[in-house]
Amino acid sequence: MVEEESLRVVRCGGSELNFRRPVFSADSKYVFCVSGDFVKVYSTATEECVHILHGHRNLVTGIQLNPNNHLQLYSCSFDGTIKLWDYVDGILIKTFTVGCQLHALFTLTQTEDSVFVIINKEKPDVFQLVSVKLPKSSGQEIEAKELSIVLDYINQSPKCIAFGNEGEYVAAVRDFYLSVYFFKKKTTSRFTLSSSRNKKRSKNNFTCVACHPKEDCIASGHKDGKIRLWRNFNDDKKYTYTCLHWHHDLVMDLAFSVTGGHKGTSLLSGGRESVLVEWRDTVEKNKEFLPRLGATIEHIAVSPAGDLFCTSHSDNKIVVIHRNLEASAVIQGLVKDRSIFTGLMIDPRTKALVLNGKPGHLQFYSLQSDKQLYNLDIIQQEFINDYGLIQIELTKAAFGYFGNWLATVEQRQEKETELELQMKLWLFNKKTQGFVLNTKINMPHEDHITALCFCNAEKSEQPTLVTASKDGHFKVWILTDDSDIYKKAVGWTCDFVGSYHKYQATNCCFSEDGSLLAVSFEEIVTIWDSGTWELKCTFCQRAGKIRHLCFGRLTCSKYLVGATENGILCCWNLLSCALEWSAKLNIRVMEPDPDSENIAAVSQSSGGSDLFVFKPSEPRPLYIQKNISREEVQWGVFVPRDVPESFTSEAYQWLNRSQFYFLTKSQSLLTFSTESPEEKLTPTSKQLLAEESLPTTPFYFILGKHRQQQDETLNEALDNELVQLPLTENIPAVNELLHTPAHVLPSASFLCTMFVNSLLLSKETKSAEEMPDDIDMKEEKESDDSDEENDFTEKVQDTNDTDLGEDVVRQLSKAEEKELRKFRKVDYSWIAAL
Amino acid sequence: PRSGAPARGGTRGCRGAGAAMAAGGGGSCDPLAPAGVPCAFSPHSQAYFALASTDGHLRVWETANNRLHQEYVPSAHLSGTCTCLAWAPARLQAKESPQRKKRKSEAVGTSDQVDLLALGTAVGSILLYSTVKGELHSKLISGGHDNRVNCLQWHQDSGCLYSCSDDKHIVEWNVQTCKVKCKWKGDNSSVSSLCISPDGKMLLSAGRTIKLWVLETKEVYRHFTGHATPVSSLRFTTIRPPNESQPCDGITGLYFLSGAVHDRLINVWQVRSENKEKNAVMSFTVTDEPVCIDLTLSENKEEPVKLAVVCKDGQVHLFEHILNGYCKKPLTSNCTIQMATPGKGKKSTPKPIPILAAGFCSDKMSLLLVYGSWFQPAIERVALNSKEPHMCLIRDISNCWAPKVETAITKVRTPVMNSEAKVLVPGIPGHHAAVKPASPQTKQVENKRKLEGDEVSIEDRLGAMQIDTKKGKDELLQTNSFPVLLTQGLESNDLEMLNKVLQTRNLNLIKKTVLRMPLHAIIPLLQELTKRLQGHPNSAVVMVQWLKCVLTVHASYLSTLPDLVPQLGTLYQLMESRVKTFQKLSHLHGKLILLITQVTASEKAKGMTSPEQKAKLVYEEESSEEESDDEIADKDSDDNWDEDEEEKESEKDEEVDEENEEEDDDAEKDEENGEDRDVASEKELNGDSDLDPENESEEE
Repeated sequence: MVEEESLRVVRCGGSELNFRRPVFSADSKYVFCVSGDFVKVYSTATEECVHILHGHRNLVTGIQLNPNNHLQLYSCSFDGTIKLWDYVDGILIKTFTVGCQLHALFTLTQTEDSVFVIINKEKPDVFQLVSVKLPKSSGQEIEAKELSIVLDYINQSPKCIAFGNEGEYVAAVRDFYLSVYFFKKKTTSRFTLSSSRNKKRSKNNFTCVACHPKEDCIASGHKDGKIRLWRNFNDDKKYTYTCLHWHHDLVMDLAFSVTGGHKGTSLLSGGRESVLVEWRDTVEKNKEFLPRLGATIEHIAVSPAGDLFCTSHSDNKIVVIHRNLEASAVIQGLVKDRSIFTGLMIDPRTKALVLNGKPGHLQFYSLQSDKQLYNLDIIQQEFINDYGLIQIELTKAAFGYFGNWLATVEQRQEKETELELQMKLWLFNKKTQGFVLNTKINMPHEDHITALCFCNAEKSEQPTLVTASKDGHFKVWILTDDSDIYKKAVGWTCDFVGSYHKYQATNCCFSEDGSLLAVSFEEIVTIWDSGTWELKCTFCQRAGKIRHLCFGRLTCSKYLVGATENGILCCWNLLSCALEWSAKLNIRVMEPDPDSENIAAVSQSSGGSDLFVFKPSEPRPLYIQKNISREEVQWGVFVPRDVPESFTSEAYQWLNRSQFYFLTKSQSLLTFSTESPEEKLTPTSKQLLAEESLPTTPFYFILGKHRQQQDETLNEALDNELVQLPLTENIPAVNELLHTPAHVLPSASFLCTMFVNSLLLSKETKSAEEMPDDIDMKEEKESDDSDEENDFTEKVQDTNDTDLGEDVVRQLSKAEEKELRKFRKVDYSWIAAL
Repeated sequence: PRSGAPARGGTRGCRGAGAAMAAGGGGSCDPLAPAGVPCAFSPHSQAYFALASTDGHLRVWETANNRLHQEYVPSAHLSGTCTCLAWAPARLQAKESPQRKKRKSEAVGTSDQVDLLALGTAVGSILLYSTVKGELHSKLISGGHDNRVNCLQWHQDSGCLYSCSDDKHIVEWNVQTCKVKCKWKGDNSSVSSLCISPDGKMLLSAGRTIKLWVLETKEVYRHFTGHATPVSSLRFTTIRPPNESQPCDGITGLYFLSGAVHDRLINVWQVRSENKEKNAVMSFTVTDEPVCIDLTLSENKEEPVKLAVVCKDGQVHLFEHILNGYCKKPLTSNCTIQMATPGKGKKSTPKPIPILAAGFCSDKMSLLLVYGSWFQPAIERVALNSKEPHMCLIRDISNCWAPKVETAITKVRTPVMNSEAKVLVPGIPGHHAAVKPASPQTKQVENKRKLEGDEVSIEDRLGAMQIDTKKGKDELLQTNSFPVLLTQGLESNDLEMLNKVLQTRNLNLIKKTVLRMPLHAIIPLLQELTKRLQGHPNSAVVMVQWLKCVLTVHASYLSTLPDLVPQLGTLYQLMESRVKTFQKLSHLHGKLILLITQVTASEKAKGMTSPEQKAKLVYEEESSEEESDDEIADKDSDDNWDEDEEEKESEKDEEVDEENEEEDDDAEKDEENGEDRDVASEKELNGDSDLDPENESEEE
């Protein structure tokens, strides 16, 4: 058997994608974003993660393309290093050690050997923009200690710094002023908004800044939703600014789109309205909108080529948007905008993790592929994203009966006395493969619902649901025949209302066989017979309110386990109606494993969270893992494995049939893995290892080759027999043909040969372009038009060929080339015969 | 003889049917081309389903949420349509022991991301497509096939790709360099199918016969007879020899199966050490030509092989069999899965939905089914229940055709909320537990009350009631009332009649009608009123007047009914839930009304000089005492509300605001008996007045 490594806590996905502004690769094929300690490379076409750049030891805080090599990427991190990556292959090239925490990174084409970072040296709140000279050295680990301060006392956020007009100046905003530092003059100008002094409550604060790529123009966003465009700021007195105002709430980010041909530069802005606004030619009247992006826009990025934009949102997603303001792809992580009320659940049908998602939605998240599957719209109301608006919250949800039923509870509470509560029961319709609302219950209770559980026993005749509420009651809902003369139907009705001395009901759970229901009323646990709804017995430990309650399973079904707020874990024997054992543990999360007797409990102590796995039958835990997380663990869930593992060591046997996932306060989803860090590495870094020690995968070789060919010279590519697809848009002749208006073009018959020739490769390359079939046919037709043209076109072809020799970087197999040439020959001879 | 006995029999049997099918379908021009279009689930977790449809598009679907992941159109999709496709093994493959490898692939979800997809075309080229980047990687052309590629197989370890073609050759590709590694003639006719042995050292090829090649030397190791028609699928079914004692050389003793075009039998062959045996050891029979075959490998002797065969007729046949030696008779399926539309009402009969492909999930307990049309297939995970011999799944795929562009971007699914859903609001039966008569607590209380209040017998009460009605008749001799009509309406449940009476807004009329109602019609009237109260709020406004009237006039009668609690439980819940909205306000309202009516009553009493009234002087004292009690009671009632629920239900018609002390009970009953109707009715007014503010709010 394989030797087992120690159990480690690993992040299993749902990492944050919206921490910093995403960055596009030069060809817009990839988009990079920081994600915890990693940099992720996503394909803009397929939304898939292509690589994970793995190497920083702390939060990555900034990424920028290397201005001198577009296939390289700089990243900086809190661990005090700047790393240079080859993102195509996912290889770490160099590490520059700076020493102090780096908060943001900027690069400039003009300053080849240095980059700019934001650091804070002395006081915790004072940040400086410094330029770091990156020494040229062949080593992998390089010290970069040559720092020079550019701007002092700036805002921490990289959104408040922008470099303008080919690196002539840098603009920084903070509070009520804009400072511009000119690199040539080495002077700083400062512009303060006057109104800010007069009125204390005016919201003139700067929130972000962006610089026009070509002109001397700075755009700044403000807290009141205004965008100011600053001009003539070379002069301290003559400066002007104009206002653009559409946003009603603060402007979260600004970006100038890159000038694309005859179209003017436009300014992009976004904010809490979740609407991307494009100000064409940066003029107030030419506004274009892309509404309903779902959540607050945090960042806006524009690709270097200008064909794509992307916005990153507070609900942890990146939307890739075409130039014409059409969303083309969504890279969605685990939605973590809002607090999780529902806890973690597993959909028995799809085995997906289910929790609160977008506002009013339940998100279904595939743990296997680390991707969001879909959001289920439960509340079905238009979400208005506005600060201070009290929304309907989805507070509870539960699956029952193998995923056939879903119960959801939504609430809205504006004032203490005005609680709106609604419970919905959804039936999974197998025919349409979707949920259908079966019963809607308004105000199922007079106060908040604290717990919700289905009776999931296999033998139960009637689907049963229990809700416990703060109003001191628990209600038993059963599915009854609801048919009338018009339709056959089933619906849920209340069967029983139970209470115990007006205490608030806090938890409820069914035993495994469904014969008993345990409801906790503050400090007291009551056991009810689910057949007759008679109170069987009560347990009271007087050890604080019950926080969690669950029955044992399988061989431990005679036990009931409860955790109290005073830090006592109690286990009662249901046969003897006595306390079996208790332990002093401040339990935050208690989850029973559906496939075994084990119960996992996470306790909170001052040092962090500890995990205990135990069986109710014995007070000694099976497994203890100390300090699984520094933060408080909020929710946990056991996910059954598709294929059971076979850990032999006793300590890990609890992981054989299911895997334990938990969610911390900062909403990172963690799990346990026994694999060594090396094995646990992400795909790209694994490939790296593979190259050194193991046989490489086909993918790596193909990818590597393919990329090299694009960069390397033609001669090298000649030997290679790899055939690329025709990329017609890169050929100047084709571009010319397609972009010239039709009425100024000569006749098609005249152009055709020229066009076809332009697709061919020059003689030096000795290879020809693969020709689309339809063009061949055209040539045939065209060639019988006139003989004179042939001479002419051949001349044209010659000139064309020499022109194109440098531009066209493509090759065909010799066989195909020959074939093509033959084809042409045949063609001409046929004309001669005419 | 080219074919084994069972195979031959089967071929003969179905040849006619197969030919007819091909002619009728007319989908493929080549009668010997396999049915169906090339499609495959991605390895390991079956996260994707790649499908190269006949229009030349390659579409990759996400199996978990049935979403189109990406679509790709090869540049030469019209001339060289895709004939076969194969997913490359997961990106990461390290040479390690098999157990270890397995563990890795499962423990970390993201690490076994599959990427590369090989597509064989009708013109002989092979394309490699990257699903991660959504673009073509490379094209394998030079030195390859010059005719239709029939089958592609990735080598699980070395990263080599094997292809076979109509040009009779088998080619081994080095994918890393995109070059041909080796090319050899595989058969005298076209080679239609390939399969690599579990240990990676052997290769099965099917042409005219099935051959087993040694990959290292490219020599034929074994021959098998094969099928009469081109073999469309070859699969190894076991990875260990059945006999443990046998020396394991990786291939001897293994079983593999083969399915062929137009053949309803799937043959199972065993690789034996002796060279003589060329015939199939057993066969599985299915209803039509197999289109797609998936199986779970059996890793040991005890574990049966699970086989899912999708047939051309759209059915799936499941076999579960432990492979051990010969079996003469063709085996029939353990379970058949079919699919059909619901075919509701007018929409004629249910139509079958073809199942296009099936694949076992990694837990081996559920099956991924692809069904519907090739252009918009639906993918579903179905749990297998081995006990049932026949499963018919009813699916409504009509809405699958709806455009899904919007949802593809936002990934939002909207569950159906139609009007058929049941709505429960407070007060509607079903929202709260039904009031049960057999509640032991209530009984006790009732008993108690009976014991202590036995001086007032039912007879007395009835007597009093009769006097009441008489008296009422005497006093009010107006004809303007409809008791008869209402009674008749209630009895016949005639809506028209009921509406005529109940929709009146004339307070006097209501009062008179209620007064003259026969007693037996009271409960039906109340139930009718309850029903109408649950309806539209506008009608409820009128109904409240009726209800108020009925309760004030007939309270004493109602209190005598033994089964009042279950009969009027709904009404009580309704009232309670509605009153809740402005609880304090209605309490105040009730108190004020009580005061006012008492004042008017006392003023009236002054004016009246009937002997009866004089006899009641005793009660006036008590009632004034009670007035102060009422105030206390009001305070108490807030607290006692829940606890005394049951009792209140029984009493609520008499007094909602009253406390339940026995003394008071007695006092009240005395009052009732004492025919002091004014006071009693005032009290009821008080109780019912709770409804009034709520009505106002509704009207607003």
